Amino acid sequence: MDRNVQQKNDLMRELEETRRQLYEAKETIEAIRTGQVDALVVQKGSTHQLYTLKTADHTYRIFIEKMTEGALTLSQQGIILYANTRFGEMIGMPLSAIIGLPFEQFIAKENIPFYKTLFKTSWAGDCKGEVEIYYNGKHTPVQLSLTVLELDEGLSLSIIITDLTLQKTTQRKLQENNRQLELLNHTLESSNHDLQEPLRKIHMFSNLLKKKATDILGQEEIAYLEKIISSTNRMKALIVDILNYSRLSAIDGEFLPTNLNYVLKELLEDFELLIADKKGKIDYKDLPVLEVNRGQIRQVFQNLISNSLKFSKEGVAPVIEINSVILAEKSFTSKEDDKGDFCLLTIEDNGIGFDEKYATTVFSLFQRLHPKDSFEGTGIGLSIAKKIIEKHQGLIQVTSTPGVGTKFMIILPIKQS
Amino acid sequence: MASADTIVKKILLAEDDPDDVSFFFQYLSERPDLVLLPPVENGEEVVEYLQKAHNGTFPDLIILDQNMPKCNGLQTLAILKNNTQYEKIPVFVYSTYTDAYLVKKSIQLGARSVLEKPFSVEGYHKMIDDILELI
Repeated sequence: MDRNVQQKNDLMRELEETRRQLYEAKETIEAIRTGQVDALVVQKGSTHQLYTLKTADHTYRIFIEKMTEGALTLSQQGIILYANTRFGEMIGMPLSAIIGLPFEQFIAKENIPFYKTLFKTSWAGDCKGEVEIYYNGKHTPVQLSLTVLELDEGLSLSIIITDLTLQKTTQRKLQENNRQLELLNHTLESSNHDLQEPLRKIHMFSNLLKKKATDILGQEEIAYLEKIISSTNRMKALIVDILNYSRLSAIDGEFLPTNLNYVLKELLEDFELLIADKKGKIDYKDLPVLEVNRGQIRQVFQNLISNSLKFSKEGVAPVIEINSVILAEKSFTSKEDDKGDFCLLTIEDNGIGFDEKYATTVFSLFQRLHPKDSFEGTGIGLSIAKKIIEKHQGLIQVTSTPGVGTKFMIILPIKQS
Repeated sequence: MASADTIVKKILLAEDDPDDVSFFFQYLSERPDLVLLPPVENGEEVVEYLQKAHNGTFPDLIILDQNMPKCNGLQTLAILKNNTQYEKIPVFVYSTYTDAYLVKKSIQLGARSVLEKPFSVEGYHKMIDDILELI
């Protein structure tokens, strides 16, 4: 019996000791967490290990020093209490000289009224504004981000200063590029017109010559004349197409919800004779309403259908099928999703097809896969289609098998943002 | 042979390019129903011609090239339509390239139609036929 009582007392003492240690440990952790303790001495066997803590404040200091923005702390009177190295670099002054000066001193004169307003408002709530820092002849466009800080010493204002120089330069370059592009477009259009005049004359005079000289000239000479005439025809077609292509960059039509079924219906009516001539059949069903430029999308369908009719198999009536599904994502491998934001249109024919290694080059300007004489056209149709689809923030791709047919796939966003 | 004036239509052409004048002559030489009056080179000369013209030489229609020096097609058109003596003569503007602006402005100023300079003899045929339909 004695031994059991002894055991019980031993266990109780051990429990007591463990509880005490646990309590001490909890107290220590609490002290560390609330910052009451700066260092810990821990006994490890026979040695003592000293652990010091980095305070949150210190970490922030390093963070602010190292960041690429300028940072300031201002007093309620607008005096600089603290500035980081980056700010010093921005104005080209050592920090020791900056502290104690009013921040206003470094703002460009024209911006001072605006800055004053910004300063006053920021005490009530965070605000941002663009000003120019000016000191020692150096101008820097910056964005100021102002927040009130509660420090031990009282309320102060923290300002993060972002250098906008690069942004402004890029913006200027973009504007300049746009201006030059417009000028180029304009020049292209003018040149186009200028080219038409001599071309017309070559054509007219060649025809007149042919007419007048038929009796005098031999067969070969007449053939040469005819080559000249047909080249001028081709050149005229090229000029018209180049003009249309360059116009696509200039004019930005409106995007409006358009029922593609109507677009197609209209197109087929206009093409009635050509389709009947080729004994072609074009099927489409339940196409969606998409936010597009009606005229341009019509042009895309026109170019693709015209291609399919043109490149049909000899003796085989061309059949073109147009289908649509809604996709979850803007990708050709995306899953279908009735509630998705993108539409995949497929235009598939049973024509002569082409080697898929040309699948990307077919969209290049004036790219032709057949000799000029075999098929009419300048080869610009697909480039125009691609440009239009890209303007709609869409994607276009083609797959084909020689002797079987070709399938064009177009992805368009249902709505334009 | 009598009253040839009433059957044959007289066309006044304002064109500064001698080749284009030549094309017109070539084409019209095959049309017994039309006659080309002595061509003039710009708007000023159009007015001068009209002032000196009499019944036998007064045009039934006027074709104005847009790109003429001194006084271009549109400017000439404005002058003609502002003049009570000449405003009734049908005027057509033609040009190597006809853009939306030219068409709009020409119709606004009173032209009967705007035409693109033909690329072939058949084109001239069509242009003239279109013109005759409109007067």
